[in-house]
Amino acid sequence: MEQVIINGIYSGMQYALIALGLTLIFALMGVLNFAHGQMYVLGGFVTYYVYGVMGLPFVVGLAATAATLALVGVFFEFVIFRRVLKLSVREESTMLVAAGGALFLESLVLIIFGEKHRGVPSVISGVWKVGDAYMPYGRLLVVAMSALLIGGFILFMQYTRQGRALRALAQDREAAQIQGVNVDNYSMLGFAIGATLAGLAGGLLVSISGVNSGLGTWISIKAFIMVMIGGAGVVPGAIIGGFILGMLESVGYTVLPGGETYLVIFVALIAFLAIRPQGLMGKPWG
Amino acid sequence: MPIMEIQNLTKRFGGLTAVNDVSFSVEEEEILSIIGPNGAGKSTLFKLISSFLRPSEGRVEFKGERISGLAPHIVARRGVIRTFQETTIFRDMTARENVVVAHHLRTEASLVGHFANSPLARRDESSFHESAAEILEYLGLGHVQNEYARNLPHGYLRALGIALGLAAEPEVLLLDEPFTGMNQDETNKAVEMVRGVRDRGITILLVEHDMSAVMKISDRIVVLNFGEKIAEGTPTEIQNDDRVIEAYLGREDEEIGI
Amino acid sequence: MPNQRSLIAVGVALVIYLIVLPALLADKPYFLGVLTTASVLSVIAAGVWLTFFIGRINIGQGAFALVGGYAAAILMTKLGFSFWIAMPLAGLTAALVSIVIGIPILRLRGVYFAMISLSLTETARLSAQSFRSVTEGAKGIVNIPLPGAVEIFGFTLIPDFSTVDKHLAFYFLAAILLIATFAAMYRLVNSRIGWLFKSLQQNEELASSVGVDIARLRVIAYAISSFLGGIGGAFFVAAQQSVYPASFQIQDSIYFMLYTFLGGLGYVFGPIVGTFVLFLSFEFLHGLNEYQPLIYSIIMIALMLWLPNGLLSIRLPGWGLGTKANPERARGA
Repeated sequence: MEQVIINGIYSGMQYALIALGLTLIFALMGVLNFAHGQMYVLGGFVTYYVYGVMGLPFVVGLAATAATLALVGVFFEFVIFRRVLKLSVREESTMLVAAGGALFLESLVLIIFGEKHRGVPSVISGVWKVGDAYMPYGRLLVVAMSALLIGGFILFMQYTRQGRALRALAQDREAAQIQGVNVDNYSMLGFAIGATLAGLAGGLLVSISGVNSGLGTWISIKAFIMVMIGGAGVVPGAIIGGFILGMLESVGYTVLPGGETYLVIFVALIAFLAIRPQGLMGKPWG
Repeated sequence: MPIMEIQNLTKRFGGLTAVNDVSFSVEEEEILSIIGPNGAGKSTLFKLISSFLRPSEGRVEFKGERISGLAPHIVARRGVIRTFQETTIFRDMTARENVVVAHHLRTEASLVGHFANSPLARRDESSFHESAAEILEYLGLGHVQNEYARNLPHGYLRALGIALGLAAEPEVLLLDEPFTGMNQDETNKAVEMVRGVRDRGITILLVEHDMSAVMKISDRIVVLNFGEKIAEGTPTEIQNDDRVIEAYLGREDEEIGI
Repeated sequence: MPNQRSLIAVGVALVIYLIVLPALLADKPYFLGVLTTASVLSVIAAGVWLTFFIGRINIGQGAFALVGGYAAAILMTKLGFSFWIAMPLAGLTAALVSIVIGIPILRLRGVYFAMISLSLTETARLSAQSFRSVTEGAKGIVNIPLPGAVEIFGFTLIPDFSTVDKHLAFYFLAAILLIATFAAMYRLVNSRIGWLFKSLQQNEELASSVGVDIARLRVIAYAISSFLGGIGGAFFVAAQQSVYPASFQIQDSIYFMLYTFLGGLGYVFGPIVGTFVLFLSFEFLHGLNEYQPLIYSIIMIALMLWLPNGLLSIRLPGWGLGTKANPERARGA
């Protein structure tokens, strides 16, 4: 029992981190970032390369990941989304260009890093024992760092000038523009932060479960599930959605064999959305 | 006997009561307006009456039968049709196509019949086109009927909205702020148009905050403030009602700001 | 209504498609196979197009192709049905499943519907893996017989596919499916049903205010869409004589969306153009191996940046191709 809860918290924390970036980008630009999972994978590979292959400290790997993904975020916003958002009246266009972006990133990662599953040596060894449950220190580190990042993100959004501008932008693009917020620059910043969060999640997780180039779509789907549970574009919703999925997964893997956990989760999700289409905390129709 | 009865209608959103225990009735072929300062609950009440919202308590009856809580298209089928504010139209269709589509309730052929282009379906189509042309002509939109709705100027969109409503052959037509944002001249024309619609035998219930137009057009007026009905009567009665004057004076600044 | 010029164009296209191409490629099974696949992919993509037409972003068509594929495989191998009955039943099964799922999820719009539809493909794969007793799990269903003969009063209407050149036989089957599908779609879109679908796309509240039963109509559109997915799935299962949980994946669902989009969402024949252009170029890029998806994705992004309304929005002088918002004037070139 304790083990199930501990596993749930462990998954929930990293999932919350992943969902946070996705929901931020959605709130700011109304774009569903399909490439979110691929950004996670890229983050994993950058950390793998800097920490695992080059042998530099883990923190340096994470810093390199953050820098790389911030650049990727800027590239996505500036090259891909800005023009499509201005040109097109139909939501489908941004959706498709996002899917194109995901495919682009995935094939790029495949070409650069190959198709093998890569792992890195653990950052710290040892196991923490609570009652009947076990928690390797490596996982504890991931939980702690994820919590730190989530907390840092919330503080940033609450108390800095940039954070306030981003929130204004998320609430009402036009009003923010009138108040003098530079919409283009802040969209870019928001995209960069969202991408960085996804990448850091990948970078942290590579130390536990490794990474491979085909993982991206599945991570995106998980992120979508969390966002649907919590409500698109709502920060607390993303965090709650992350924890709910983490717990469901942890319980499911204990009671059900193989792939059936997600089958149950999908069916439950459809039933849930039938009752509450906007998720737990979302505004109707996002 | 009234054609519509609004009985103890209440709508709560979480802790907020937007509409509180409102009752009144609508007589056949009258023009009844619901007015009130901003935030009085007018548009919530409008959505409740047209069944786009489900009431927390109370009911709406049309010809003695409950319509509140039914799906909007079923309420429409019974003969209660609402219009929207001007931006809500089928943007990527021409004015004519908008009105032809809105004849949906008059179809006699089945969907399969329409797919197979049966004689009944063809008869439907040609009668809809005729009727659409007539309605557009009547509302002064004849010369723009082949324009895409997204390209029409604002003044025409309001009329197009009413045309969509007429196409559905309503017994009661609910108009959502039909005079808002119009200048004096446009308002006068719109008032004439709404009177003309009533003269076709259609009962009109409208929500509006442009006082002068409402005074001109209404047979009776219901006044809301903070979600509650504070007065009901003819325009003259309403103009001299102390509570109404107080409600509006107390909020004068806001009203001027519009 | 179609004018004379476009009727001639359609006639010429049909002659090329049904006579010239098969005659030229009769002894080139590879190219014949590529065209066959593109034809059936267009049929599946037509379903996606229809859901776009009612204003829903459908990234779940792979799920219904998989449902149809498994339905056909199970009907043929376990219940001994002929392919010619199994295929329509597969379409109906997919349609039925889509009605059950569609009633709750079609209430969602925009990105919400897109997200849940994306999950459907994965749900279908997991179901195929989990219900081993009927689907054989990851092993898949193999050794599915080729379509048999259809005879009426001793007269052979359709020959047994194993007794003739099966590549050619599947090519003609695919061609007939494509022609029937798009003829029906053209009729549908230009009938009152098409206008009602279009009214849903543009404003569901307004449509319901004039009495349109929006919930019923969008389920109908989704069922037709999934029917086409199921038919396509059944075809591929018969052609490959096997089906696995991974026969249709999320990538396929995304590609279906891409095909429809590339052709142009405002044109009934958009899915044909989009599928053939993309699928054929995909085949030609085959030699590039690992760079192929990269190039594909760059094409995809570039298209969205510079041709957001699809290939058919390019106006060819003298062809009078319709505008985006006017499907009745749109036609395949």
